[in-house]
Amino acid sequence: MSFESLRTQLNEAATAFSDGPGALEGILLGMVDDVDRAVREPLEIFPVCHHSPASAVAMARRLRDKQPKVIYLELCEDMAPLLTELRNCRLPVAVQAFSSEVDGFPADWAPLSVVAPITEASAEYQAIAYALDTPGVELVLVDRSSDHVFQWQPPETKASAEDALHGDAVGVEIGDLRPRFAELEEHLLHHGKVRHWSEWWHQYVELPLGDSDHDTYRQVMFLIGSLFRRLAPGDPHRVRVDEDRERYMWTRMREHLAASGADPAECLYVCGAFHAASRVAEFGVEGTDGFVISPRSATKWQHGLIPSSHAAIEAQFGLAPGSVSIAATEWAKNLKRTKVKPFQLAGQAGGKKARKQPALPGPVAEPTTADQLSGFLQRPPVLDRLDEAELLGWSVEIVRAARRNGYLASTADAIAVFETSILLAGMRDRARPTPYDFQDAAVTCIEKDVVPGRRDVRRLVEIMMGGDRIGQVGYDALPPLARDVHDRLAPLNLKLQQRGVQRALLDITSQPELEACSNLLWMLRYLLPHASARPIMGERKLGERPIQESWDLALGTHQRSLIELGYEGVSVEQVVEQRLRRSAYDPQATTATVLEAVEDAIRYLHSPRLAGELGTRALEVLSGERTVDGAPEVLKRSRRLLAYYRTNEPVLPQWIESFVRTGYAHYCTLLPTAFTEEEAGVDQVAAMLGFLFSMESLALSLGCDRTQLELAVAQSHPEEPSKVALLWAAQVHLGRLSRAELRARCDELLSNPLSLPSYPRYLSGFVHALDPVPSLVDFVVETMSNAFAHLPDPLLLPWLPSLISTLRSRGAQFVPLLVKEAGRLFPGRLPALDEWVPPWLDEPAPVAVRTRTGQGLALLAAHPETCDAVAALLGCEGSWQAAPGGVALLNRYPDTAVALEALMS
Amino acid sequence: MSDLLRAPAELKYAEELDWLESVDDNPKPFSWRLSPKMIRLFVLGAERSDGLEREIAQKWFGDRSIVERAIVTLASDRGLLLIGDPGTGKSWLAELLAAAISRNSTQVVQGTAGTTEDHIKYSWNVSMVIAKGQSRESMIPSPIMNAMESGTIGRFEELTRSTSDVQDALISILSEKYISVPELDHDNIVFAKPGFSVIATANSRDRGVNDLSSALKRRFNFVRIPVVTNKKSEAEIVRFRTEELLRRHQIELDVPPTLLDVLLRSFADLRAASAAAGSDDEKLESALSTAEQIGVLEDAILHSNFFGSRELTARTLGSSLVGSLSRRAPEDLAIMNKYLHGVVEPRGKDEGGLWPEFLAGGRDTIATLS
Repeated sequence: MSFESLRTQLNEAATAFSDGPGALEGILLGMVDDVDRAVREPLEIFPVCHHSPASAVAMARRLRDKQPKVIYLELCEDMAPLLTELRNCRLPVAVQAFSSEVDGFPADWAPLSVVAPITEASAEYQAIAYALDTPGVELVLVDRSSDHVFQWQPPETKASAEDALHGDAVGVEIGDLRPRFAELEEHLLHHGKVRHWSEWWHQYVELPLGDSDHDTYRQVMFLIGSLFRRLAPGDPHRVRVDEDRERYMWTRMREHLAASGADPAECLYVCGAFHAASRVAEFGVEGTDGFVISPRSATKWQHGLIPSSHAAIEAQFGLAPGSVSIAATEWAKNLKRTKVKPFQLAGQAGGKKARKQPALPGPVAEPTTADQLSGFLQRPPVLDRLDEAELLGWSVEIVRAARRNGYLASTADAIAVFETSILLAGMRDRARPTPYDFQDAAVTCIEKDVVPGRRDVRRLVEIMMGGDRIGQVGYDALPPLARDVHDRLAPLNLKLQQRGVQRALLDITSQPELEACSNLLWMLRYLLPHASARPIMGERKLGERPIQESWDLALGTHQRSLIELGYEGVSVEQVVEQRLRRSAYDPQATTATVLEAVEDAIRYLHSPRLAGELGTRALEVLSGERTVDGAPEVLKRSRRLLAYYRTNEPVLPQWIESFVRTGYAHYCTLLPTAFTEEEAGVDQVAAMLGFLFSMESLALSLGCDRTQLELAVAQSHPEEPSKVALLWAAQVHLGRLSRAELRARCDELLSNPLSLPSYPRYLSGFVHALDPVPSLVDFVVETMSNAFAHLPDPLLLPWLPSLISTLRSRGAQFVPLLVKEAGRLFPGRLPALDEWVPPWLDEPAPVAVRTRTGQGLALLAAHPETCDAVAALLGCEGSWQAAPGGVALLNRYPDTAVALEALMS
Repeated sequence: MSDLLRAPAELKYAEELDWLESVDDNPKPFSWRLSPKMIRLFVLGAERSDGLEREIAQKWFGDRSIVERAIVTLASDRGLLLIGDPGTGKSWLAELLAAAISRNSTQVVQGTAGTTEDHIKYSWNVSMVIAKGQSRESMIPSPIMNAMESGTIGRFEELTRSTSDVQDALISILSEKYISVPELDHDNIVFAKPGFSVIATANSRDRGVNDLSSALKRRFNFVRIPVVTNKKSEAEIVRFRTEELLRRHQIELDVPPTLLDVLLRSFADLRAASAAAGSDDEKLESALSTAEQIGVLEDAILHSNFFGSRELTARTLGSSLVGSLSRRAPEDLAIMNKYLHGVVEPRGKDEGGLWPEFLAGGRDTIATLS
């Protein structure tokens, strides 16, 4: 076979179009050379393009004819073991290589993830299905490993949508074939009168190649690959990576051929058309062996299958929306038309009922290959005939879909869409409207000024043409952790593999076995994105047992996250433990975060061992801390933990005792600086005091010394008014300041015009002091009332917002306390207000002036009958005694009693 | 130069249309003067690869599929409604299409609040009615009726500005394709000839003023014309329109590309700011369309030609930008002020170039206006 005639023709063309043979000739003839070289290669190269039904059909046909013994596939070599699991999945799914522990790459690249989506309408699936289900056929993946993907190309950081099925993985694809520079693509689109690349491909490659024989298919694909390669190599770095990949693949193939002794004539190499036109020295069975494959890094890679979808594939590889779905529809149609029997993995989930595959008839004898290109290039483009029935079906269907979505569409619209599609296709030089023409026509005729529902006509056409198909990873292909989760949630009797949200009701009192499910769900809640497991009713607090819970579960929708969790460990408990350890031993961890991990360990794992270990870690972190920023959080959490241990454990664990002891000493030491430092806010100081006062009894019983606290308070000399107020409150608590003195100090502040403006800040200090010294609540109400009573408006009004915000932020604790106290102090009804005197203004009633005892006593003694009668009536018995003489003395000499009273009060 | 201030498209491009008609051998629907493909060529311009012997300039800038959909609609039995923000080139596209299809783009009804049914059907020449009675001679046909009789394209500008009873009169014209004249005893129906269709335009900002009834909506295919945000094509449009303008005013003046870039970038900034604004007070009243951009440039050109040194400077451009876009006294001025000081000033410091001068011009005008 030779391409001589084609060469001559192209040479003439080059001379005709440019002024002389030059660059153009070089390109044109170079392309023929590339094709020639690829065709001559003894190891048959099968060029493909991704998501091309024509490629898939040609592949299926070729596999039946040739029945190769070895198939080399352009796919990361480390993904090979997973491919047999594809039969357990509903396509499209993606093969994923994932690593969260990077070694040899910058740490901030983690987690690394590579995905290779596989759809049913693809040539690679045909090859995989053939190779795996035909005895004696070997499938060898030859492309660089996932590790090399990152060795050669650092990941680009790009924001990905939250619900993207592939997450932010790097996508790899078999048969990437697209112009590498924008101008060429723009040019092709413009002259092809199409809108985007997928449409161009469909129109100018897919359709003409649809029914062509193997040789034509192969040569045309080689030519296109070579065209893009020669015309527009694009970014030099990318070219280098591509060439390295080709070297890699050929090196691996030669290695395999040498090791297995396979005959190259019985092998098939499936790769993108772009790589088939390679000019690297390593190309071919006879290529040079100079390429050294660099060793993989020490990064540990995990492999799995994750669900994918047409939309996710389109988004990842920059294809037009709907194009993969349209390719799938085309594939189904092509199969029907060409009667090619596709290969399908036995037992493929979601596929047609697998019939017993009959043994393949023997391979067909090879005809000699001839130059098919010249003929193909000279033929006018094959025009697809108008398929009236199909177009009518589409038109009727879209009108029905539009009506369902709120459009006022009628049969008249169906007619208009039909007519407009044909007219549009005619304007674009084709007899048969493509799905894209039809889409334009439908938008023109049905879309009006507003979209009535959720979807517009464009989207409806996409859905109609196949819509997005979302794959699903079958149970057997899931990692052990995910299978374990599904097993353990089985008592819920829900189909959790399905997509969508499902409501789980757990009545744990009547079905105690569901408690294990509840525990698991809470762990999943901790580990997975929140939408995958969302509690509707029920909460998990320290030491509480669940009674009834209801959950919204969407594990099927978030299958990828669950599968990626499976890369971290074999059970959920293990992963939770790892995560908790990681957060506790993080160099940035603070006492508060470690205590949170302790709480989580108790809440989710019920593990005293882990809680103890993390608690000891909290102790370490606390003693190393030099700031008090986290004090409020530490106080909150340590209080909660103490309360939990007190109620649930017979004795306090060792670590929390040490924690209280260390914390007491630690905060005592830091107190004087915290009072004076500007960085420490009043919140933090209040929390420190809270820790010191509320844990005091426990700390003292564990051997701490109160003098330390007293000294610390005595050493504190704050200047900031709110902290001064806190200090006063602390002094009151320690008994170094009486209420009367405190009141006097506040009154002085109010009466001094110079200190008046800072009064509100004192007050906010007092509000904060409610936490450590709750007994001051009546005093806080008093100072607050005073503020409202005495502060001038220009001072009072600007302060009010800050008061409200303070109360709001700390409100949960203080407001009920303050309201209760205020309710007690203030009159409850309006009329009572007029006579109301605030208790603090109500001078303590002067000690009753001792008056002479009333005259009544003498009368009683003189006339005892009355008293006796009353006593008899009441049933009291008794007799009269003579009054003690002392009383008379006392009456006569009251001075003694008065002197005694003065002495005692 | 023609002695018309603004020649309609069919006159302006008469020679081009004649030539296209002479080489057009594609099938033509109805009585169309050009085939759909040639119309597309006429509107979007030709390239070498189209195999024509002469150059056809691009006249309307936008997505090709919009033009195709519009042409195809006119070949079907529905009317075409071009809908979009003000200044996106709806009317211009309508004019070009009408000129290319029927060589007459002047059969226009302007929709206003005062448009009556007579304007789209027919009215009477009162003195002739008195003299001769009601007859076809004493009838004054509307542009739409003329279009029906001649089988050409009638245009209806700003359809949503006219009241709903007027809009409803269109329904029967579009579906029955005839107008009956009950005042006459015989010859009282005017039938539309093949080739008749209506191109209406509607402003999407006016939605809700006089909403179209669903019966009328059904008789129109809606083609939405988006605001051009692609910088390259916008630059193209501005250059195209400005050249035309300069020719019309016989002004010889150079618009330096850097100055055009300043204009385009400032509009892009203002659009981004408008998109991000929370309330109406924070965004300019102007729609910031391409037409508005041309308006600013036109203003600057005329100003520098007649009052300035016959040379377009960034200062003049800055001043006309502020002048043209500030419509509401405090709000728009405040936004422009914020823009000049927040964006242009730092940019002038960083990049230099024409920006400082542009800033100075804008600042002066703000000072004058406020």
